[in-house]
Amino acid sequence: MDKSVYQVYEDEIQSLEEEIKLLAEKYEDIQHESSFFSDEEVQKSKEFFQREFQGGHKGHGSQLYLIQELESLERDLSFSMNFLGVQITGHSKKTLEKTAIRTVATHSVSGKCRFLSFCLEFQLTETQNMYNVSASITDLSIAMESGQQSELSKLVSSYLKENRPGYEK
Amino acid sequence: MEGERNSDEKESALRGRSPTTASQDGGERMSEVPFAQRKVEEGKVYSGDGVLGYLEMMEAQAHELGLKQEEKEQQEKKLNRLKARVQELRARRDELRAKVELQEKRLLDKEGTVTDPAQPSAQTVLEWKLKGVRATIQFFYLTGISGKLTTQGVCFCISTAYEGTYMDSYYVDILTKPEVKIQLHSVPVFIPLEQIAKKYLQTDIRHFLSVLSDHLNAYVGRRHQAEQLEEQFSDRIEGTLQRNSLCNLLVFNYNVSKNSKTFLFNVRLLYGDLCHSLPTEAIISCTSGTLPLLAEKAAAHSYAFRHMALHKAFDSLINAKEGQDQTP
Repeated sequence: MDKSVYQVYEDEIQSLEEEIKLLAEKYEDIQHESSFFSDEEVQKSKEFFQREFQGGHKGHGSQLYLIQELESLERDLSFSMNFLGVQITGHSKKTLEKTAIRTVATHSVSGKCRFLSFCLEFQLTETQNMYNVSASITDLSIAMESGQQSELSKLVSSYLKENRPGYEK
Repeated sequence: MEGERNSDEKESALRGRSPTTASQDGGERMSEVPFAQRKVEEGKVYSGDGVLGYLEMMEAQAHELGLKQEEKEQQEKKLNRLKARVQELRARRDELRAKVELQEKRLLDKEGTVTDPAQPSAQTVLEWKLKGVRATIQFFYLTGISGKLTTQGVCFCISTAYEGTYMDSYYVDILTKPEVKIQLHSVPVFIPLEQIAKKYLQTDIRHFLSVLSDHLNAYVGRRHQAEQLEEQFSDRIEGTLQRNSLCNLLVFNYNVSKNSKTFLFNVRLLYGDLCHSLPTEAIISCTSGTLPLLAEKAAAHSYAFRHMALHKAFDSLINAKEGQDQTP
């Protein structure tokens, strides 16, 4: 029997597996990006598992690991924020495009840099190439609280202009 | 004993059964009989060995046919497996597609957040939160300086970028007790890390990281420009581009023309400020005696190299509009 007969099926299997992977990721992304749970709800969920575990219920090992992982990452994040003096109060992401090679998402970040409130938006494009994933940022916009006018907003807008492609620092 | 066995095999071959396959599945194969008859009819009688030779040939052919039959069955089995797998995957793919479409429809119908109408499980909430925290950590990574707590201190990550595209990341693992000290790092050896650490590490870690980040960003910027020049203009550069590891010294040659004559320019770029990705000096020289003639052009080229990214400067120079000087 000709090998090419298998190849047709094997190619389709591979393409279906890729498509399934992308669809599953897309579903997870939409699910995540359209959900919101308050800090109270997060705290209640943590306490729920901790109570269950203390109560001697078996089978919650993975959830406890989840809590540990979450708390460890939150500590790292808190450290970075304190170290750099930037507190992030909100961060949302919307995936615009996702293929096997490329992911494009817009990010909205709001926070406070010392005493200055800001709102940052940008588009992040991640491209899979031969050895690694390359990332680039486009459409960066920075908005600052209108109260803090003059010098700082001038600095920000001149920075944005300078950092368009074509300019050199 | 052997003779007996041989004659048995030959007998079964004559009857149309291949010895090997018969022992494997115990069944009889009838297809070999007509084949044998055909062979006789075609006149292929091995008169040399007589009947014995003929029987041996029959046996070999029956054996071969048996193998082919087996192979055919294996192939069919494999094909059926593949077909079944394709069906299974298609069904799963269609199921996921429907799920995603439903999700998207729900989003459009109900602006804003779409939390599951049923009470979300604690697991869902925590997984959501974890994913969100990871995303914010990635954001900090994108800002250029981020840190991860270790048992004895902090491991900082400096991510570099040039013109909006991220380049390499470098790590500095710092101990904080009993004193502030660099334990491990992935900073290249030609970056003056020790010097920078000596100056700032003990007094102001933030400043230390900021200065180190400037050095690293400038380095990757210079390296990127040199790589782009080589990649995009290898045909316009005479010989090879020479550079040091730190990419703060670049030398290359290219041809310029004036009055229908071709001259070779040698460019020496010196990046005096290691925190900058533009050269502080761009020295252009050419074969002795011709410089006075080309002084204006050399000055213009030098200016371009000092004020624009290398590959972009070169691009503009070789594509300059034909003026009095004609094309470079």
